[in-house]
Amino acid sequence: MPRSLRIALLLAPSGLLMCVFLYGLIRLIGSSLVTDGQIDLSYYEAIFSRADYVAMLGRTLRIAAMTTFFCLLLGFPTAYYVARYRGNRNFLLLMIIFPWLVSIVVRSYGWVVILGPRGLINGFLTWTGLIERPAKLMYNDFGVILGLVHVLLPFMIIAILSVLMQIPRNLEEASMSLGGRPSYSFRTVLLPLSLPGVLTGITLVYLMATGAIVTPLLLGGLGDTMLGTEIFQEVMHFFDYPKAAALATVLLITALAVVLPIQILERWVARRLSDGGSQ
Amino acid sequence: MTTRAIAIAVLLFLPLPIVIVVLSSFTSAGYLSFPIKGVSLRWYAEFLGSADWLKVLGTSALLALIGALVSTAASFAAAWAVVRHEMRFGTTYETILLTPLIFPHAAIGVIMIVTLSGLGWLGTFTGLILVHCILTIPYAYRPVVAALRKADPALEEAAASLGARPWRTFWLVSLPAVRPGLVTSLLFSFIISFDEVTVTMFLVGPFVMTLPVQVFSEVLESASPIIAAVSAALVLFTSLMVFVLDKVIGIQFFVERD
Repeated sequence: MPRSLRIALLLAPSGLLMCVFLYGLIRLIGSSLVTDGQIDLSYYEAIFSRADYVAMLGRTLRIAAMTTFFCLLLGFPTAYYVARYRGNRNFLLLMIIFPWLVSIVVRSYGWVVILGPRGLINGFLTWTGLIERPAKLMYNDFGVILGLVHVLLPFMIIAILSVLMQIPRNLEEASMSLGGRPSYSFRTVLLPLSLPGVLTGITLVYLMATGAIVTPLLLGGLGDTMLGTEIFQEVMHFFDYPKAAALATVLLITALAVVLPIQILERWVARRLSDGGSQ
Repeated sequence: MTTRAIAIAVLLFLPLPIVIVVLSSFTSAGYLSFPIKGVSLRWYAEFLGSADWLKVLGTSALLALIGALVSTAASFAAAWAVVRHEMRFGTTYETILLTPLIFPHAAIGVIMIVTLSGLGWLGTFTGLILVHCILTIPYAYRPVVAALRKADPALEEAAASLGARPWRTFWLVSLPAVRPGLVTSLLFSFIISFDEVTVTMFLVGPFVMTLPVQVFSEVLESASPIIAAVSAALVLFTSLMVFVLDKVIGIQFFVERD
Protein backbone atom coordinates (compact mmCIF):
# COMPACT_ATOMS: atom_id res chain seq x y z
CA MET A 1 0.00 0.00 0.00
CA PRO A 2 1.46 3.40 -0.92
CA ARG A 3 2.45 5.58 2.00
CA SER A 4 0.02 8.41 1.20
CA LEU A 5 -2.95 6.02 1.01
CA ARG A 6 -1.93 4.50 4.33
CA ILE A 7 -1.75 7.95 5.97
CA ALA A 8 -5.13 8.87 4.49
CA LEU A 9 -6.69 5.70 5.94
CA LEU A 10 -5.12 6.33 9.35
CA LEU A 11 -6.44 9.90 9.41
CA ALA A 12 -9.90 8.95 8.11
CA PRO A 13 -11.66 8.22 11.44
CA SER A 14 -10.45 11.31 13.32
CA GLY A 15 -10.69 13.46 10.18
CA LEU A 16 -14.29 12.40 9.67
CA LEU A 17 -15.17 13.38 13.24
CA MET A 18 -13.53 16.79 12.78
CA CYS A 19 -15.38 17.29 9.47
CA VAL A 20 -18.69 16.60 11.22
CA PHE A 21 -17.77 19.30 13.76
CA LEU A 22 -16.78 21.72 10.99
CA TYR A 23 -20.03 20.97 9.10
CA GLY A 24 -22.04 21.87 12.22
CA LEU A 25 -20.02 25.03 12.78
CA ILE A 26 -20.60 26.24 9.22
CA ARG A 27 -24.30 25.39 9.33
CA LEU A 28 -24.61 27.15 12.70
CA ILE A 29 -23.18 30.39 11.40
CA GLY A 30 -25.13 29.97 8.16
CA SER A 31 -28.48 29.44 9.87
CA SER A 32 -28.01 32.60 11.92
CA LEU A 33 -27.10 34.66 8.82
CA VAL A 34 -29.26 33.29 6.02
CA THR A 35 -33.06 33.06 5.78
CA ASP A 36 -34.61 31.62 2.59
CA GLY A 37 -31.39 32.03 0.63
CA GLN A 38 -31.01 35.70 1.55
CA ILE A 39 -28.51 37.27 3.91
CA ASP A 40 -30.58 38.27 6.87
CA LEU A 41 -29.05 40.02 9.86
CA SER A 42 -32.35 40.49 11.67
CA TYR A 43 -31.45 38.04 14.43
CA TYR A 44 -28.31 40.01 15.25
CA GLU A 45 -30.19 43.30 15.03
CA ALA A 46 -32.78 41.86 17.40
CA ILE A 47 -30.05 40.86 19.84
CA PHE A 48 -28.09 44.10 19.84
CA SER A 49 -31.11 46.40 19.83
CA ARG A 50 -32.51 44.93 23.02
CA ALA A 51 -31.14 46.53 26.17
CA ASP A 52 -31.65 43.39 28.26
CA TYR A 53 -29.56 41.32 25.82
CA VAL A 54 -26.76 43.87 25.80
CA ALA A 55 -26.85 43.88 29.61
CA MET A 56 -26.73 40.07 29.59
CA LEU A 57 -23.72 40.15 27.29
CA GLY A 58 -22.00 42.60 29.65
CA ARG A 59 -22.89 40.43 32.63
CA THR A 60 -21.44 37.35 30.92
CA LEU A 61 -18.15 39.11 30.19
CA ARG A 62 -17.97 40.58 33.71
CA ILE A 63 -18.59 37.23 35.40
CA ALA A 64 -16.14 35.44 33.09
CA ALA A 65 -13.48 38.09 33.75
CA MET A 66 -13.96 37.97 37.52
CA THR A 67 -13.92 34.17 37.53
CA THR A 68 -10.67 34.17 35.54
CA PHE A 69 -9.16 36.77 37.88
CA PHE A 70 -9.98 34.80 41.04
CA CYS A 71 -8.81 31.53 39.47
CA LEU A 72 -5.46 33.14 38.70
CA LEU A 73 -5.23 34.74 42.14
CA LEU A 74 -5.83 31.38 43.88
CA GLY A 75 -4.38 29.09 41.23
CA PHE A 76 -0.89 30.51 40.91
CA PRO A 77 0.08 30.26 44.61
CA THR A 78 -1.43 26.77 44.79
CA ALA A 79 0.45 25.59 41.71
CA TYR A 80 3.66 27.12 43.07
CA TYR A 81 3.21 25.45 46.46
CA VAL A 82 2.51 22.04 44.90
CA ALA A 83 5.40 22.34 42.41
CA ARG A 84 7.88 23.13 45.20
CA TYR A 85 6.40 20.73 47.76
CA ARG A 86 9.05 18.32 49.05
CA GLY A 87 6.74 15.77 50.68
CA ASN A 88 4.16 13.48 49.12
CA ARG A 89 3.30 15.55 46.07
CA ASN A 90 1.08 12.83 44.60
CA PHE A 91 -1.40 13.31 47.40
CA LEU A 92 -1.66 17.05 46.69
CA LEU A 93 -2.11 16.30 42.97
CA LEU A 94 -4.90 13.90 43.84
CA MET A 95 -6.64 16.68 45.81
CA ILE A 96 -6.65 18.73 42.57
CA ILE A 97 -7.23 16.08 39.88
CA PHE A 98 -9.99 14.16 41.65
CA PRO A 99 -12.37 17.13 42.14
CA TRP A 100 -11.56 18.21 38.57
CA LEU A 101 -12.84 14.89 37.19
CA VAL A 102 -16.03 14.81 39.25
CA SER A 103 -19.00 15.95 37.13
CA ILE A 104 -19.70 19.69 37.26
CA VAL A 105 -23.33 18.86 38.02
CA VAL A 106 -22.30 17.15 41.25
CA ARG A 107 -19.92 19.96 42.22
CA SER A 108 -22.42 22.75 41.50
CA TYR A 109 -25.08 20.78 43.35
CA GLY A 110 -22.69 20.58 46.32
CA TRP A 111 -22.66 24.38 46.41
CA VAL A 112 -26.46 24.42 46.35
CA VAL A 113 -26.36 22.21 49.45
CA ILE A 114 -23.82 24.51 51.12
CA LEU A 115 -25.28 27.90 50.15
CA GLY A 116 -28.99 27.09 49.97
CA PRO A 117 -31.60 28.37 52.44
CA ARG A 118 -31.50 25.08 54.36
CA GLY A 119 -27.82 24.52 53.65
CA LEU A 120 -24.66 24.29 55.71
CA ILE A 121 -23.89 28.00 56.13
CA ASN A 122 -27.45 29.19 56.74
CA GLY A 123 -28.08 26.25 59.05
CA PHE A 124 -25.05 27.16 61.10
CA LEU A 125 -25.82 30.88 61.19
CA THR A 126 -29.45 30.42 62.24
CA TRP A 127 -28.41 27.80 64.82
CA THR A 128 -25.98 30.22 66.46
CA GLY A 129 -28.71 32.87 66.38
CA LEU A 130 -26.57 35.28 64.37
CA ILE A 131 -29.33 35.63 61.80
CA GLU A 132 -33.05 34.96 62.04
CA ARG A 133 -33.89 34.28 58.43
CA PRO A 134 -31.61 32.45 55.94
CA ALA A 135 -29.27 34.81 54.10
CA LYS A 136 -29.40 34.92 50.30
CA LEU A 137 -26.06 33.33 49.41
CA MET A 138 -27.02 32.05 45.98
CA TYR A 139 -29.26 33.13 43.10
CA ASN A 140 -26.92 36.12 42.77
CA ASP A 141 -23.54 36.94 41.21
CA PHE A 142 -21.71 35.84 44.35
CA GLY A 143 -23.05 32.29 44.09
CA VAL A 144 -22.35 32.06 40.35
CA ILE A 145 -18.77 33.34 40.62
CA LEU A 146 -18.02 31.13 43.65
CA GLY A 147 -19.36 28.07 41.81
CA LEU A 148 -17.52 28.89 38.56
CA VAL A 149 -14.24 29.54 40.40
CA HIS A 150 -14.58 26.20 42.13
CA VAL A 151 -15.41 24.32 38.96
CA LEU A 152 -12.70 25.96 36.82
CA LEU A 153 -9.85 26.44 39.32
CA PRO A 154 -8.33 22.98 38.62
CA PHE A 155 -7.85 23.94 34.94
CA MET A 156 -5.82 26.99 36.00
CA ILE A 157 -3.77 25.07 38.58
CA ILE A 158 -3.01 22.21 36.18
CA ALA A 159 -2.01 24.59 33.35
CA ILE A 160 0.39 26.56 35.59
CA LEU A 161 1.66 23.50 37.43
CA SER A 162 2.67 21.71 34.24
CA VAL A 163 4.95 24.66 33.40
CA LEU A 164 6.29 25.21 36.92
CA MET A 165 7.27 21.54 37.26
CA GLN A 166 9.69 22.05 34.38
CA ILE A 167 11.45 25.06 35.92
CA PRO A 168 14.34 23.76 37.98
CA ARG A 169 14.17 24.81 41.61
CA ASN A 170 17.83 25.85 41.55
CA LEU A 171 17.13 28.54 38.94
CA GLU A 172 15.45 30.63 41.62
CA GLU A 173 18.09 29.64 44.16
CA ALA A 174 20.79 30.78 41.76
CA SER A 175 19.05 34.12 41.28
CA MET A 176 18.76 34.59 45.02
CA SER A 177 22.32 33.47 45.77
CA LEU A 178 23.48 36.13 43.30
CA GLY A 179 21.81 38.69 45.54
CA GLY A 180 18.33 38.90 44.02
CA ARG A 181 15.59 39.37 46.57
CA PRO A 182 12.73 36.81 46.49
CA SER A 183 10.37 39.35 44.90
CA TYR A 184 13.04 40.21 42.30
CA SER A 185 13.71 36.59 41.34
CA PHE A 186 9.97 35.97 41.19
CA ARG A 187 9.53 38.89 38.80
CA THR A 188 12.54 38.20 36.61
CA VAL A 189 12.82 34.40 36.66
CA LEU A 190 9.67 32.62 37.73
CA LEU A 191 6.97 34.87 36.28
CA PRO A 192 8.32 35.09 32.70
CA LEU A 193 9.05 31.34 32.62
CA SER A 194 5.60 30.44 33.91
CA LEU A 195 3.83 32.85 31.55
CA PRO A 196 2.89 30.19 28.93
CA GLY A 197 1.10 28.17 31.62
CA VAL A 198 -0.63 31.26 33.00
CA LEU A 199 -1.86 32.20 29.50
CA THR A 200 -3.15 28.66 28.85
CA GLY A 201 -4.96 28.74 32.19
CA ILE A 202 -6.53 32.14 31.48
CA THR A 203 -7.68 30.93 28.05
CA LEU A 204 -9.31 27.76 29.36
CA VAL A 205 -11.00 29.37 32.35
CA TYR A 206 -12.32 32.35 30.38
CA LEU A 207 -13.67 30.06 27.63
CA MET A 208 -15.42 27.72 30.00
CA ALA A 209 -16.82 30.58 32.08
CA THR A 210 -18.34 32.39 29.08
CA GLY A 211 -19.92 29.17 27.79
CA ALA A 212 -21.02 27.75 31.16
CA ILE A 213 -24.65 26.74 31.62
CA VAL A 214 -24.95 24.24 34.45
CA THR A 215 -23.28 26.24 37.24
CA PRO A 216 -24.95 29.60 36.43
CA LEU A 217 -28.37 27.92 36.20
CA LEU A 218 -28.05 26.06 39.49
CA LEU A 219 -26.45 28.87 41.48
CA GLY A 220 -27.76 31.91 39.61
CA GLY A 221 -31.32 30.86 38.99
CA LEU A 222 -33.40 31.80 35.98
CA GLY A 223 -33.56 35.55 36.62
CA ASP A 224 -30.17 37.01 35.73
CA THR A 225 -29.13 35.07 32.67
CA MET A 226 -25.74 34.70 31.08
CA LEU A 227 -25.11 34.02 27.39
CA GLY A 228 -24.95 30.24 27.98
CA THR A 229 -28.11 30.05 30.06
CA GLU A 230 -29.96 32.30 27.60
CA ILE A 231 -29.00 29.97 24.73
CA PHE A 232 -30.19 27.01 26.79
CA GLN A 233 -33.57 28.65 27.42
CA GLU A 234 -34.04 29.67 23.78
CA VAL A 235 -33.53 26.04 22.77
CA MET A 236 -35.25 24.18 25.58
CA HIS A 237 -38.19 26.47 26.37
CA PHE A 238 -38.85 28.59 23.28
CA PHE A 239 -37.52 26.24 20.55
CA ASP A 240 -36.18 29.35 18.79
CA TYR A 241 -33.26 27.69 17.00
CA PRO A 242 -32.21 30.58 14.69
CA LYS A 243 -32.03 32.91 17.67
CA ALA A 244 -30.06 30.32 19.65
CA ALA A 245 -27.75 29.99 16.64
CA ALA A 246 -27.24 33.77 16.52
CA LEU A 247 -26.56 33.87 20.28
CA ALA A 248 -24.14 30.93 19.96
CA THR A 249 -22.32 32.77 17.16
CA VAL A 250 -22.09 35.89 19.37
CA LEU A 251 -20.71 33.64 22.13
CA LEU A 252 -18.15 32.15 19.73
CA ILE A 253 -17.01 35.59 18.60
CA THR A 254 -16.70 36.99 22.15
CA ALA A 255 -14.78 33.91 23.23
CA LEU A 256 -12.44 33.78 20.24
CA ALA A 257 -11.87 37.58 20.35
CA VAL A 258 -10.17 37.02 23.70
CA VAL A 259 -8.72 33.58 23.18
CA LEU A 260 -7.01 33.95 19.80
CA PRO A 261 -4.88 37.01 20.79
CA ILE A 262 -3.85 35.18 23.97
CA GLN A 263 -2.90 32.10 21.94
CA ILE A 264 -0.78 34.25 19.62
CA LEU A 265 0.82 35.96 22.64
CA GLU A 266 1.49 32.54 24.16
CA ARG A 267 3.27 31.32 21.01
CA TRP A 268 5.31 34.53 20.95
CA VAL A 269 6.27 34.16 24.63
CA ALA A 270 7.20 30.50 24.11
CA ARG A 271 9.39 31.44 21.14
CA ARG A 272 11.06 34.27 23.07
CA LEU A 273 11.74 31.88 25.97
CA SER A 274 13.25 29.19 23.79
CA ASP A 275 15.37 31.77 21.91
CA GLY A 276 16.61 33.14 25.22
CA GLY A 277 17.50 29.64 26.37
CA SER A 278 19.62 28.86 23.32
CA GLN A 279 21.69 32.02 23.40
CA MET B 1 3.77 32.03 54.05
CA THR B 2 0.77 33.55 52.27
CA THR B 3 1.44 31.18 49.36
CA ARG B 4 1.19 28.24 51.72
CA ALA B 5 -1.98 29.53 53.38
CA ILE B 6 -3.71 30.09 50.02
CA ALA B 7 -2.59 26.69 48.73
CA ILE B 8 -3.83 24.80 51.77
CA ALA B 9 -7.14 26.69 51.72
CA VAL B 10 -7.56 25.85 48.00
CA LEU B 11 -6.69 22.18 48.52
CA LEU B 12 -9.39 21.97 51.19
CA PHE B 13 -11.86 24.07 49.15
CA LEU B 14 -11.72 21.84 46.04
CA PRO B 15 -13.10 18.61 47.56
CA LEU B 16 -15.50 20.46 49.93
CA PRO B 17 -18.78 20.41 47.93
CA ILE B 18 -18.14 16.81 46.88
CA VAL B 19 -17.74 15.71 50.49
CA ILE B 20 -20.90 17.64 51.45
CA VAL B 21 -22.95 15.95 48.70
CA VAL B 22 -21.75 12.50 49.73
CA LEU B 23 -22.51 13.18 53.41
CA SER B 24 -25.94 14.65 52.68
CA SER B 25 -26.93 11.53 50.73
CA PHE B 26 -27.15 9.58 54.01
CA THR B 27 -30.04 11.68 55.32
CA SER B 28 -33.22 10.01 56.50
CA ALA B 29 -35.31 13.13 55.93
CA GLY B 30 -37.57 13.54 52.93
CA TYR B 31 -35.98 16.83 51.91
CA LEU B 32 -32.40 17.89 51.48
CA SER B 33 -30.70 19.79 54.27
CA PHE B 34 -27.29 20.00 55.79
CA PRO B 35 -26.33 18.98 58.47
CA ILE B 36 -28.49 15.90 57.88
CA LYS B 37 -31.37 14.81 60.10
CA GLY B 38 -30.73 11.18 61.00
CA VAL B 39 -28.67 8.61 59.11
CA SER B 40 -30.17 6.13 56.68
CA LEU B 41 -29.54 4.42 53.36
CA ARG B 42 -33.13 4.90 52.14
CA TRP B 43 -32.13 7.14 49.22
CA TYR B 44 -29.63 4.57 47.98
CA ALA B 45 -32.32 1.91 48.20
CA GLU B 46 -34.63 4.20 46.25
CA PHE B 47 -31.94 4.83 43.60
CA LEU B 48 -31.08 1.15 43.16
CA GLY B 49 -34.75 0.19 43.21
CA SER B 50 -35.67 2.62 40.45
CA ALA B 51 -35.76 1.11 36.97
CA ASP B 52 -35.62 4.62 35.44
CA TRP B 53 -32.42 5.63 37.20
CA LEU B 54 -30.74 2.28 36.47
CA LYS B 55 -31.67 2.53 32.79
CA VAL B 56 -30.13 6.00 32.61
CA LEU B 57 -27.01 4.73 34.40
CA GLY B 58 -26.77 1.92 31.85
CA THR B 59 -27.12 4.34 28.92
CA SER B 60 -24.37 6.59 30.33
CA ALA B 61 -21.99 3.68 30.91
CA LEU B 62 -22.56 2.21 27.44
CA LEU B 63 -22.24 5.63 25.79
CA ALA B 64 -18.98 6.36 27.62
CA LEU B 65 -17.61 2.90 26.80
CA ILE B 66 -18.35 3.05 23.07
CA GLY B 67 -17.26 6.70 22.85
CA ALA B 68 -13.98 5.96 24.63
CA LEU B 69 -13.24 2.95 22.39
CA VAL B 70 -13.96 4.85 19.17
CA SER B 71 -12.09 8.02 20.07
CA THR B 72 -9.08 6.10 21.42
CA ALA B 73 -8.93 4.01 18.24
CA ALA B 74 -9.30 7.12 16.04
CA SER B 75 -6.63 8.94 18.09
CA PHE B 76 -4.28 5.99 17.90
CA ALA B 77 -4.61 5.83 14.11
CA ALA B 78 -4.01 9.58 13.81
CA ALA B 79 -1.03 9.45 16.19
CA TRP B 80 0.42 6.57 14.14
CA ALA B 81 0.24 8.68 10.97
CA VAL B 82 1.78 11.70 12.71
CA VAL B 83 4.58 9.91 14.59
CA ARG B 84 5.42 6.73 12.64
CA HIS B 85 4.82 8.08 9.12
CA GLU B 86 6.13 11.53 10.03
CA MET B 87 3.40 12.96 7.83
CA ARG B 88 3.56 16.51 6.50
CA PHE B 89 1.55 19.09 8.46
CA GLY B 90 1.50 16.66 11.40
CA THR B 91 1.61 19.51 13.95
CA THR B 92 -1.19 21.33 12.12
CA TYR B 93 -3.29 18.18 12.20
CA GLU B 94 -2.67 17.84 15.94
CA THR B 95 -3.86 21.43 16.43
CA ILE B 96 -7.03 20.65 14.45
CA LEU B 97 -7.75 17.64 16.68
CA LEU B 98 -7.53 19.92 19.73
CA THR B 99 -9.89 22.62 18.34
CA PRO B 100 -13.03 21.36 20.13
CA LEU B 101 -11.23 22.51 23.30
CA ILE B 102 -11.25 26.18 22.32
CA PHE B 103 -15.00 26.35 21.74
CA PRO B 104 -17.31 27.35 24.60
CA HIS B 105 -19.53 24.45 25.59
CA ALA B 106 -22.82 26.30 25.10
CA ALA B 107 -21.76 27.02 21.50
CA ILE B 108 -20.74 23.39 20.92
CA GLY B 109 -24.19 22.40 22.19
CA VAL B 110 -25.92 24.45 19.48
CA ILE B 111 -23.41 23.35 16.82
CA MET B 112 -24.22 19.75 17.67
CA ILE B 113 -27.99 20.34 17.52
CA VAL B 114 -27.51 21.66 13.99
CA THR B 115 -25.21 18.76 13.06
CA LEU B 116 -27.39 16.00 14.48
CA SER B 117 -30.63 17.40 13.10
CA GLY B 118 -28.92 17.57 9.70
CA LEU B 119 -28.07 13.87 10.04
CA GLY B 120 -31.46 13.01 11.54
CA TRP B 121 -29.78 11.80 14.75
CA LEU B 122 -31.06 14.37 17.24
CA GLY B 123 -32.27 12.66 20.42
CA THR B 124 -30.75 9.31 19.46
CA PHE B 125 -28.06 7.18 21.08
CA THR B 126 -26.04 7.13 17.83
CA GLY B 127 -26.05 10.92 17.81
CA LEU B 128 -24.74 11.05 21.37
CA ILE B 129 -21.93 8.62 20.49
CA LEU B 130 -20.86 10.79 17.56
CA VAL B 131 -20.83 13.95 19.70
CA HIS B 132 -19.02 12.32 22.60
CA CYS B 133 -16.32 11.05 20.22
CA ILE B 134 -15.73 14.60 18.97
CA LEU B 135 -15.62 15.92 22.54
CA THR B 136 -13.22 13.26 23.85
CA ILE B 137 -10.75 13.13 20.93
CA PRO B 138 -8.60 15.97 22.38
CA TYR B 139 -8.36 14.06 25.66
CA ALA B 140 -7.74 10.67 24.05
CA TYR B 141 -5.10 11.91 21.61
CA ARG B 142 -2.52 13.27 24.06
CA PRO B 143 -1.73 10.13 26.12
CA VAL B 144 -1.58 7.93 23.04
CA VAL B 145 0.69 10.20 21.02
CA ALA B 146 2.99 10.67 24.03
CA ALA B 147 3.27 6.88 24.44
CA LEU B 148 3.95 6.42 20.75
CA ARG B 149 6.71 9.06 20.78
CA LYS B 150 8.39 7.28 23.70
CA ALA B 151 8.17 3.79 22.12
CA ASP B 152 11.29 2.80 20.19
CA PRO B 153 10.60 2.09 16.48
CA ALA B 154 13.84 0.06 16.41
CA LEU B 155 11.98 -2.75 18.19
CA GLU B 156 9.49 -2.93 15.34
CA GLU B 157 12.31 -2.92 12.79
CA ALA B 158 14.00 -5.73 14.73
CA ALA B 159 10.81 -7.80 14.74
CA ALA B 160 10.33 -7.19 11.03
CA SER B 161 13.93 -8.06 10.20
CA LEU B 162 13.52 -11.30 12.15
CA GLY B 163 10.73 -12.18 9.74
CA ALA B 164 7.57 -11.16 11.62
CA ARG B 165 4.73 -10.11 9.35
CA PRO B 166 3.47 -6.53 9.77
CA TRP B 167 0.31 -7.53 11.67
CA ARG B 168 2.25 -9.83 13.98
CA THR B 169 4.76 -7.06 14.67
CA PHE B 170 1.90 -4.71 15.41
CA TRP B 171 0.18 -7.10 17.84
CA LEU B 172 3.24 -8.40 19.62
CA VAL B 173 5.59 -5.40 19.59
CA SER B 174 3.96 -2.06 18.78
CA LEU B 175 0.74 -2.47 20.75
CA PRO B 176 2.27 -3.66 24.05
CA ALA B 177 4.75 -0.75 23.91
CA VAL B 178 1.96 1.82 23.95
CA ARG B 179 -0.46 -0.09 26.17
CA PRO B 180 -0.26 2.33 29.16
CA GLY B 181 -0.96 5.24 26.79
CA LEU B 182 -3.95 3.43 25.28
CA VAL B 183 -5.38 2.53 28.69
CA THR B 184 -4.95 6.13 29.84
CA SER B 185 -6.73 7.43 26.73
CA LEU B 186 -9.57 4.98 27.29
CA LEU B 187 -10.03 5.86 30.95
CA PHE B 188 -9.61 9.59 30.43
CA SER B 189 -12.12 9.80 27.59
CA PHE B 190 -14.46 7.45 29.47
CA ILE B 191 -14.52 9.85 32.46
CA ILE B 192 -14.96 12.95 30.28
CA SER B 193 -17.82 11.31 28.38
CA PHE B 194 -19.48 9.79 31.45
CA ASP B 195 -19.54 13.16 33.26
CA GLU B 196 -20.41 15.39 30.28
CA VAL B 197 -23.53 17.54 30.74
CA THR B 198 -23.36 20.95 29.09
CA VAL B 199 -23.32 19.72 25.48
CA THR B 200 -25.26 16.49 26.06
CA MET B 201 -28.29 18.20 27.60
CA PHE B 202 -29.06 19.87 24.27
CA LEU B 203 -29.13 16.51 22.52
CA VAL B 204 -31.03 14.12 24.77
CA GLY B 205 -34.67 13.34 24.07
CA PRO B 206 -37.57 11.24 25.23
CA PHE B 207 -35.81 8.06 24.10
CA VAL B 208 -32.30 8.68 25.38
CA MET B 209 -31.06 10.26 28.61
CA THR B 210 -27.71 10.28 30.42
CA LEU B 211 -27.11 10.16 34.16
CA PRO B 212 -25.54 13.62 34.69
CA VAL B 213 -28.22 15.29 32.53
CA GLN B 214 -30.93 13.50 34.50
CA VAL B 215 -29.31 14.65 37.78
CA PHE B 216 -29.17 18.20 36.44
CA SER B 217 -32.84 18.35 35.48
CA GLU B 218 -33.83 16.79 38.81
CA VAL B 219 -31.80 19.41 40.72
CA LEU B 220 -33.59 22.16 38.79
CA GLU B 221 -37.00 20.71 39.59
CA SER B 222 -36.86 19.14 43.05
CA ALA B 223 -34.81 18.91 46.22
CA SER B 224 -35.21 15.17 46.73
CA PRO B 225 -32.19 13.63 48.48
CA ILE B 226 -32.20 10.86 45.86
CA ILE B 227 -30.14 13.29 43.74
CA ALA B 228 -27.50 13.27 46.47
CA ALA B 229 -27.43 9.46 46.45
CA VAL B 230 -27.07 9.33 42.64
CA SER B 231 -24.37 12.03 42.82
CA ALA B 232 -22.54 10.03 45.48
CA ALA B 233 -22.62 7.03 43.13
CA LEU B 234 -21.11 9.24 40.38
CA VAL B 235 -18.40 10.37 42.81
CA LEU B 236 -17.64 6.77 43.81
CA PHE B 237 -17.37 5.83 40.15
CA THR B 238 -15.05 8.73 39.36
CA SER B 239 -12.82 7.87 42.34
CA LEU B 240 -12.50 4.31 41.06
CA MET B 241 -11.44 5.60 37.65
CA VAL B 242 -8.93 8.02 39.18
CA PHE B 243 -7.53 5.17 41.31
CA VAL B 244 -7.05 2.98 38.23
CA LEU B 245 -5.53 5.91 36.29
CA ASP B 246 -3.08 6.53 39.12
CA LYS B 247 -2.10 2.83 39.10
CA VAL B 248 -1.75 2.64 35.30
CA ILE B 249 0.18 5.80 34.55
CA GLY B 250 0.54 7.81 37.77
CA ILE B 251 -1.39 10.92 38.71
CA GLN B 252 1.52 13.19 37.72
CA PHE B 253 0.64 12.40 34.08
CA PHE B 254 -1.91 15.23 34.21
CA VAL B 255 0.70 17.88 34.93
CA GLU B 256 3.39 16.61 32.58
CA ARG B 257 4.20 18.38 29.34
CA ASP B 258 5.36 16.43 26.33
